[in-house]
Amino acid sequence: MKDPYQILDLSPSATPAEIKKAYLKLAKKFHPDLNPGDKHAEEHFKEISAANDLLSDPEKRKKFDAGEIDAAGNERPQRKYYRDYASQSNDNPYQAQSAYSDFSDRSDLFEELIRKHARQTGSRQGHNLNYHLEIQFLDAVLGAKKQITLPHGGTLEVTIPPGIEEGQALRLKGKGAPSQNDGPPGDALVEISIASHPYFTRQNKDIYIDLPISIKEAILGVEIKALTPTGSVLLKIPKHSTTGNILRLKGRGVQTLGSEGDAFVRLQVMTPKEVEPALEAFLENWQPQASYDPRKDMRL
Amino acid sequence: MINRQDFLLLIRIDNSTLDEWLEDDLLSPDQFEDDLIFSEIDVARAHLILDLQNNMGVNSAGLSIILHLVDQMHSMRRLMSDVANTLEKKSGRNL
Repeated sequence: MKDPYQILDLSPSATPAEIKKAYLKLAKKFHPDLNPGDKHAEEHFKEISAANDLLSDPEKRKKFDAGEIDAAGNERPQRKYYRDYASQSNDNPYQAQSAYSDFSDRSDLFEELIRKHARQTGSRQGHNLNYHLEIQFLDAVLGAKKQITLPHGGTLEVTIPPGIEEGQALRLKGKGAPSQNDGPPGDALVEISIASHPYFTRQNKDIYIDLPISIKEAILGVEIKALTPTGSVLLKIPKHSTTGNILRLKGRGVQTLGSEGDAFVRLQVMTPKEVEPALEAFLENWQPQASYDPRKDMRL
Repeated sequence: MINRQDFLLLIRIDNSTLDEWLEDDLLSPDQFEDDLIFSEIDVARAHLILDLQNNMGVNSAGLSIILHLVDQMHSMRRLMSDVANTLEKKSGRNL
């Protein structure tokens, strides 16, 4: 939003008559209906109108000149002064005790009060430090121990609990910045993000596994090894399975204290990239008895 | 809570000025990974620093002295009000 005085080409001391005159002159020049081919005219006309609205209203003009509202007529936030924060909060990081620390030589009620005050306000906890850690999918499911290398040297041990969720933050007490005086150190907050896995996806406690099978395995059924986060299991694919069928492996999901998720195997029937001539020949000669149209629901 | 870049835009200072302020301990924002996190009190304090520096002609040596005294004054004010409150409670009436 530009300065309304600039838009109307006026000085800040312009009289109401001058404002009106300047507005009329520019409004005539930039009215969109008088400039049907000029794309910028409408925008410009809006600016001129808004500037005129603001400056022709003595009340608004006064507020704008005093800096209480901006050119769009919005109120500017009142400036907050340092004293508004410095005087009230207990966690003011800029507190200085040196002004009265020698008072505590005295032995009376005053001394006790000062000591209490120094304990409350002086021993300020250090800052919390925030970190970000990307972990592997399986580490999030099974739990793990990880190390973060700190920007200023040193490392931080992070224990990932099994079943941690994307975006969850771990608080490591006392692993933040040291206090600037005698207070306890701050905490380290480690935000976790989880990398994706080529075969597994996860919904809360349940793991979804996409399992490719061949046409022959799908139609005749088979017993195969399937990979789960907790190792491979022997899985019986029933006869006449098809893509999208889901087999549940109970208790093979995310295990946490008190609850366990399941693993769900989603079957995906794959055709081989290189088709054997025998299969091709068989399909050429095969005359299906029943009509089967996999696109039936699409109503093509 | 704003980061370093937003703070520079809001206060309208450049990187090297902020570095000087941090060097002189005029500001102590929180750290977030490689960035800084400024809270409202930091913003208000930065405005005070600019007022002192630009409008009142205080130089950088004077700045840290003034801010230190201002901080001491605020601590004193808090102590005073705590003392007054405690005395009020102990005496059981308004003083």
